[in-house]
Amino acid sequence: MIEAAGLTVELGAGQAVREASFVIAPGDRIGIVGESGCGKTMLGLALMGMVPDAGRVSGSLTVDGTQMVGAGEATWQRLRARRVAMIFQEPMAALNPIKRVGETVMEPMMVHLGLGRDAARARALELFREVGIPDPEARLRQFPHEISGGQRQRVLIALALACDPGVLIADEPTTALDANVALRVTQLLVGLAERRTMGLVFISHDLAAVARATERVMVMYGGDIVERGATGEVLVRPRHPYTQGLLSARPSPGNMRATAGRRGRLPTIPGSVPPLAELAPGCRFSGRCPVELDVCRGERPPLRGTMICHRAEEGA
Amino acid sequence: MTRLPPNLIIGAVLVALVAGTAALSLVWTPHDHTLLNIRGKFAPPSELHWLGTDQLGRDVFSQLMVAARNSVAVALISVCLGGVIGVALGLLASAMGGVVEDVIMRIADIGFAFPALLFAIMLAAVFGPSLMVAIIAIAFINIPVFARVTRASANQIWTREYVYAARAAGMGRVTISRDHVLPNIAAPIIVQATIEFAIAILAEAALSYLGLGAQPPAPSWGRMLSEAQTLMYLAPQLAIYPGLCIVTAVLGFSLLGDGLRDITDPRLVRQR
Repeated sequence: MIEAAGLTVELGAGQAVREASFVIAPGDRIGIVGESGCGKTMLGLALMGMVPDAGRVSGSLTVDGTQMVGAGEATWQRLRARRVAMIFQEPMAALNPIKRVGETVMEPMMVHLGLGRDAARARALELFREVGIPDPEARLRQFPHEISGGQRQRVLIALALACDPGVLIADEPTTALDANVALRVTQLLVGLAERRTMGLVFISHDLAAVARATERVMVMYGGDIVERGATGEVLVRPRHPYTQGLLSARPSPGNMRATAGRRGRLPTIPGSVPPLAELAPGCRFSGRCPVELDVCRGERPPLRGTMICHRAEEGA
Repeated sequence: MTRLPPNLIIGAVLVALVAGTAALSLVWTPHDHTLLNIRGKFAPPSELHWLGTDQLGRDVFSQLMVAARNSVAVALISVCLGGVIGVALGLLASAMGGVVEDVIMRIADIGFAFPALLFAIMLAAVFGPSLMVAIIAIAFINIPVFARVTRASANQIWTREYVYAARAAGMGRVTISRDHVLPNIAAPIIVQATIEFAIAILAEAALSYLGLGAQPPAPSWGRMLSEAQTLMYLAPQLAIYPGLCIVTAVLGFSLLGDGLRDITDPRLVRQR
């Protein structure tokens, strides 16, 4: 169980995550979507206590009741793998190239659970079966370069599950995989979360994958959670102008027809996410927002219901 | 199978020659290298004395063999000693970061600036000259070299995603340093060790030449060179033989180090 209240991550240049509040209960499946540079990964790292040395975390973050803001590395180390675990975007880079994958998966069990080599090996084998790795006996002895991207991501999932965590944070787990493999990895994560009543935080650009994997979703822009709600609700009837822009930029036949122009071009959100230091002090989305008001730039919109937007009442 | 670079092959052959000679001297030399024969001094090369005899009638070839053993032993012990301490400090600096890293690296800078010869003279003044003094002095100058190479390589590894994954799996700094960082920086460290080996052999020769290393009757290439110096016009070959041995050993280890770097550094492979 993770509870965040006013969780803020400050990097040298500005706030990468601004006053995020949410609860992740056992079995919850929560998506985090948004463009690159919106603070999704930084939020994930904050939940692991792995914000870069230059960063400062404030607000409140409790993991199973323990306040973790201001906790030292040693305290976090006891929590990682057992309470919160994380898998990363690049399955190619996230495995030590000169270590057999079995050893990599066994290591945390030997360190955290005090298992002997044989017991750890048996459990690694069990985990490999659980995440659907074919011929697990042989896989244990292989090096990362000998197995495919999808299999490596499964190995990393096995590594994350090694100490039976309460919450699994998946940072763009499918981005580096082809569509077919991505779909199966997504299904695997959902299945695991359900079977183990484990919380799942699914960070992704891929709205379709988020729709498939999660029950609730948080949309991030410039470090703010600008909109949140049931996944079906938010992705079908987006209310925040940013979410609307994000969804209409999705390539689909409907979107192509909806736009003017002879060729039917895909709509985009004009501009790009500005660097942290250049974000507007008020609404982070001001400057790119199609329905901007005068107050937006200078004054920070309050959280109203499920949205952070000056026009929340109008249903924007 | 790609072709091995020629410097690797030549270096390996020369190193094998020196190491083989040193090993052989443990069990066999043509003569006892300490045996004096004043009447047979300055003998020219013959079937009995392959490279002749020196000013005291000792067999030069036997002396060179035993000296090889001394040189290799001093280089091996000092580079290992300096290497282990230097690598440990480099790993520690990289793992801890911040103030700890700064302090360790600034101390390493001071160590770099400190002349090894001065340190050896100081040690010799306190403990008396011996091979041990040479070993400690050479080990000492190796510590900052290894600390720097290790830290620079380790800092790169600490930013890799698999280190993040290991941290996310709850591994501590010590475990990550040992299991993930060290194995992945072994290549540059081994290359550095080979090059340091060459420098160590040269340093041992220099220290012995100055009388700070091997003491009589223990033969050493450097000491043979210094003894032959006064006889340069009478018997130049006595200076040439140990000189050639030093050149062979240093060249061998340097080429081996270069060759190893060539095959382990992908950036250099592409250039060729």
